[in-house]
Amino acid sequence: MSSTEQIATTDIAPVQKARKKRPFGFYLAGFWVALILFLAVFGDFLPGPQWDESFYDSLGVAPFHQSHILGTTLDGYDMYSGLVHGARLSVFVALVAVIVGGAIGTVIGVASAYFRGKIDVVITMAFNIMLSIPNLVLSLALISVLAYSDENNPASTTRRVGVLMLSLTIVIIPILGRIARGATLQWSSREFVLASKSMGTTNFTIIRKHILPNVAPAILAIGFLAIGSVIIVEGSLAVLGIGVPGGGSWGSMLANGRGNIAFSPWEVYLPAGAIALTVISCNWFGDYVRKALDQRESKI
Amino acid sequence: METIRMIFKRIVLLSTVVVIATFLLSLLMRLLPGDPAAVLVPNAPEELRALIREETGLSKGIFGYYWQWLSGMLQGDFGKYYLNGGYRPVSEVLKKCLPPSLFLILYAQIVALALSIPLGLISAYKENSRFDRITSSVLFTAVSIPAFASGIILSLIFAVQLGWVDPIGYESPFGNPVEHFKLMILPVTSLAIGLTSSYTRLLRTDVIATLKEDYVTMAASKGISNKRVLWKHVFRPSSTTLLTSAALNMGGLIGGTIIVEIIFVIPGIGYEIAYSIGARQIVAMQTLIALVSFAYVFFNSTVDLITNITDPRTRERRV
Repeated sequence: MSSTEQIATTDIAPVQKARKKRPFGFYLAGFWVALILFLAVFGDFLPGPQWDESFYDSLGVAPFHQSHILGTTLDGYDMYSGLVHGARLSVFVALVAVIVGGAIGTVIGVASAYFRGKIDVVITMAFNIMLSIPNLVLSLALISVLAYSDENNPASTTRRVGVLMLSLTIVIIPILGRIARGATLQWSSREFVLASKSMGTTNFTIIRKHILPNVAPAILAIGFLAIGSVIIVEGSLAVLGIGVPGGGSWGSMLANGRGNIAFSPWEVYLPAGAIALTVISCNWFGDYVRKALDQRESKI
Repeated sequence: METIRMIFKRIVLLSTVVVIATFLLSLLMRLLPGDPAAVLVPNAPEELRALIREETGLSKGIFGYYWQWLSGMLQGDFGKYYLNGGYRPVSEVLKKCLPPSLFLILYAQIVALALSIPLGLISAYKENSRFDRITSSVLFTAVSIPAFASGIILSLIFAVQLGWVDPIGYESPFGNPVEHFKLMILPVTSLAIGLTSSYTRLLRTDVIATLKEDYVTMAASKGISNKRVLWKHVFRPSSTTLLTSAALNMGGLIGGTIIVEIIFVIPGIGYEIAYSIGARQIVAMQTLIALVSFAYVFFNSTVDLITNITDPRTRERRV
């Protein structure tokens, strides 16, 4: 049996190994992602001004000021520590939404494509229904209902963040689920799966050993892109005024700084730049994985 | 015969998707804690609330409410906004907010296609040249900048600092065409950036594949000029993916313009959706979101169907 598997993986499944000489962009994008992750985790232990403290003696100073390296907002909040603090929430929300949503979507998508039948029809229909509502509108509707508050008991920040994560996770499930379903359909009709089945391997083992390893790269590629778009949706929701309140995330900082744009444009440029660089890096990684996989482009 | 059966199957599928999606939407609205009538009109007296409950079907339970809403939609009654003391039919609002959104989408599509077709053709023709590499990296960067950031930054530079156009507002093209186009420049630009980028990449990949075909070598060897080969022999067969994707985007853009409409204060459908969500007008919100989803699903299936009929090769690919 082991020899069959050997032949199968070397002959039929051309999962390309990453080339030894990686392009320059790989290190650039990797450096930025590593920096953001480092700041998101250890930001609070680094020396620097408090993110939620207003410095009344230096309101709206430009970047490269001696005590505020990236300047302050018109209300005197330090931009650098705001960005570091915002990184935590923006990255955390995006990672949780994509990892949890991706895991659920993968399980559903793989199962439905592998077992086919009525379940597949129902699940495809469910995905289509969820995808029929544009994702920003869907998350808007979900958040406005789930984080409902009136004057008597306003929703707390924690609850809003939780609802934000939940809504974005729900949005991600059909996107990655559909990718997983499509990839599984392709692989489950291959000869080595059939061979394994005829030898009496259980469905669970086939999925774990033969389907998942082949489906994973496609999901990974789209997953990177999804992280980028979740960060953008989070920012958009903040600009619409229903995201994280009070400058707690990048999008929220940008939304707060919008009104002061004529006086202190760095309040908009810096968070926008942080979002753009992170999204570029994620897209770049997604593109890199996709290119390594894409038969059509790699053949040319 | 087979085509008719396929169309019929699509219509059944499409209506099922729309009905279930809208039902889930109304279920979601009913998840709001408390009395929905109190959410609609917070400060109204009890008699008015009872009246509204009766009128919208909120008193009839989830299925009754949904049925009343759906039959109203099918008869052209799109529900109402219940504002302090008065009301405004959603259909009236729709008449006002659809044209700005449609113009915005139309212009963005035209600009994006006009830019991406030459860019895609040239960068594929000169694959891996300096032009190709610079174009792809610039477009790759551009697509990663979110529309809200590019919109805000564009309005800061061109409207606030340079003062070339007004930063916000909307003007009807029939009343004041010059002002209409001037106000549309910035929002259309920020929408078109991402579109141009994805269209160019799609076209480039397809053109590169087409350039390897034998009939292209044949045409070139006959002595036809490169320009003519590119336009007449390469562009047409390579443009299917691009045009399909452009058509599919029409549906998605109706909801996707929301953020651009907010930033540039254009009274379009996205603006109205955000407004109705903010004002907790659940009936109007349900109608607007349902219409956007319907447009999206409708565009997708129509495009799918047309490509299915015109290009039978795609049939087996969509299992």
